Amino acid sequence: MKRASNFLWFLGSVGVFALLLFGWHLIAQSGMVSRVYLAPPDKAFAAITNGFTGPNGLGSSMWATVQRMLYGWVLASMVGIVLGSIIGISAIARIYLQPMLEFLRPLPASAIVPLAIAFFGLSESMVLFVIAFGSFWPVLLAAVQGVSSVEPRLYEVARALNMSRRETIWKIALPNALPDIFAGMRIGLAVALVLTVVGEFVGGQNGLGLEILRASRQFQAPRMFGGVILLGVIGYSCAVIISNVERYLMRWRASR
Amino acid sequence: MSQSAVATSQAAPEICFDGVDLSLGGLEILKGIDLEIRRGEFICVIGPSGCGKTTMLRLIAGFHRATAGAVMHEGRAVNGPSPDIAIVFQDYGKALLPWRNAADNVALALEAMRVPKSQRADMITGFLGKVGLADHAQKFPSQMSGGMQQRLQIARALAQNPSVLLMDEPFGALDAMTRQTLQDECLNLVENMGTTVFFVTHDIEEAIYLGDRVVTLSPNPGRIADIHTVNLPRPRNQLTTREDPEFLRLRRVLFDFIQGH
Ligand SMILES: Nc1ncnc2c1ncn2[C@@H]1O[C@H](COP(=O)(O)OP(=O)(O)O)[C@@H](O)[C@H]1O
Ligand SMILES: [Mg+2]
Repeated sequence: MKRASNFLWFLGSVGVFALLLFGWHLIAQSGMVSRVYLAPPDKAFAAITNGFTGPNGLGSSMWATVQRMLYGWVLASMVGIVLGSIIGISAIARIYLQPMLEFLRPLPASAIVPLAIAFFGLSESMVLFVIAFGSFWPVLLAAVQGVSSVEPRLYEVARALNMSRRETIWKIALPNALPDIFAGMRIGLAVALVLTVVGEFVGGQNGLGLEILRASRQFQAPRMFGGVILLGVIGYSCAVIISNVERYLMRWRASR
Repeated sequence: MSQSAVATSQAAPEICFDGVDLSLGGLEILKGIDLEIRRGEFICVIGPSGCGKTTMLRLIAGFHRATAGAVMHEGRAVNGPSPDIAIVFQDYGKALLPWRNAADNVALALEAMRVPKSQRADMITGFLGKVGLADHAQKFPSQMSGGMQQRLQIARALAQNPSVLLMDEPFGALDAMTRQTLQDECLNLVENMGTTVFFVTHDIEEAIYLGDRVVTLSPNPGRIADIHTVNLPRPRNQLTTREDPEFLRLRRVLFDFIQGH
């Protein structure tokens, strides 16, 4: 029953996708928009597949973008989880760190770019810093929330068992925060992808972002569209992977 | 341990309240509590809501410190929680780790007791078996009924190998059938293990059915009103015990006490 309806949903989304492709095809064919700006779908896909793994192909750019995004995201997540846990657990850390964090948090990551350039130059480190800065906040806030919302009864259980502070954090506070941390990391990953592209634009680092920028400047519409499609593929794959990992790790939650 | 130390710890009551007063936030909660609980005794506490039953239990647990007087465990003052005193909370839904399955929830106690990993699996199977959860080791709390979750909490408490078991209205949230089953299982378990039990309940019949003695508390501030010895043979039986004239007499006495408040 559930299976069948899942399958129908899948068919439906494939249908919508096909319809969009077809609409795109019709508009490109009709010549309403100049070929210079709008490539038909077949040309865009050809731009992806032609020499994908070759020296000029989109494959290496895609790989560079994925790597950069993951490095920045993992860095942001690690720092966010550690710092968030400390803030969530320690009232003293909250007093000292909270004001600074409240000040930094509303800054849009793009406002950090000039600062990052001043420190790191137009380099790989600059891009990584911007990605990490942007995707750090959702993880941090989620970790603080998750760690500080432990059921007080569980702390009594820990006390009754004479568990050390370290054990209590490791076995109670962190697992309790896991669902929140995952939600934060999921948002952080989406932010990381956006900032990776922005960082590549600004920093001139090899990747899909730069590829798209170059293609548009050289009026290579198919290649530009190909790059955008690949970005979509990255975003979608990440969402699918992360929600599967999440479902496995959080299988203890009441099944809905 | 020297001979005489063993002798005194044998002679000392398992738990002793010695002129205990307790104030919390400037408010007098318990006043002049004197109570000795023998080793292996099953003590039930009843009294109107808010009279200090839970607070008394938390004093034994080491969560509160007496303002005056002392709470002693095997002759030594209680000055903090100890794994030798296990607690079963009423709100099993909050007291179990939802991200650990049944086996791993029991493991939490063994880990805290520093039981080597190689010995844990067998012990876990044993404790789950004692509470009838042998076939549910891999289930998460969210996949268990209320009765099963409370059994699991009892298994975790037993895994601490405690000399004292504190139970705060443990069966209050369960349906009548499940409650009776758990009462009998609980009696069996603690009799076999020789555990001393301090059992808080708001159910008069439950108190008589389980207890060797029933302590009544009166409120504002919480004081011991009376201590009733339950002269009913063991093993108790859900039908015959509850029809025993002594059971009915005590039920009447305790009912009148509760009505009076
Ligand atoms: N931590 C606390 N601080 C102040 N008052 C408390 C605290 N815990 C309990 N009390 C008060 O002590 C009284 C007894 O509470 P409790 O022992 O929970 O009652 P019972 O378990 O008999 O229903 C209540 O009036 C309650 O409000
Ligand atoms: Mg209570």
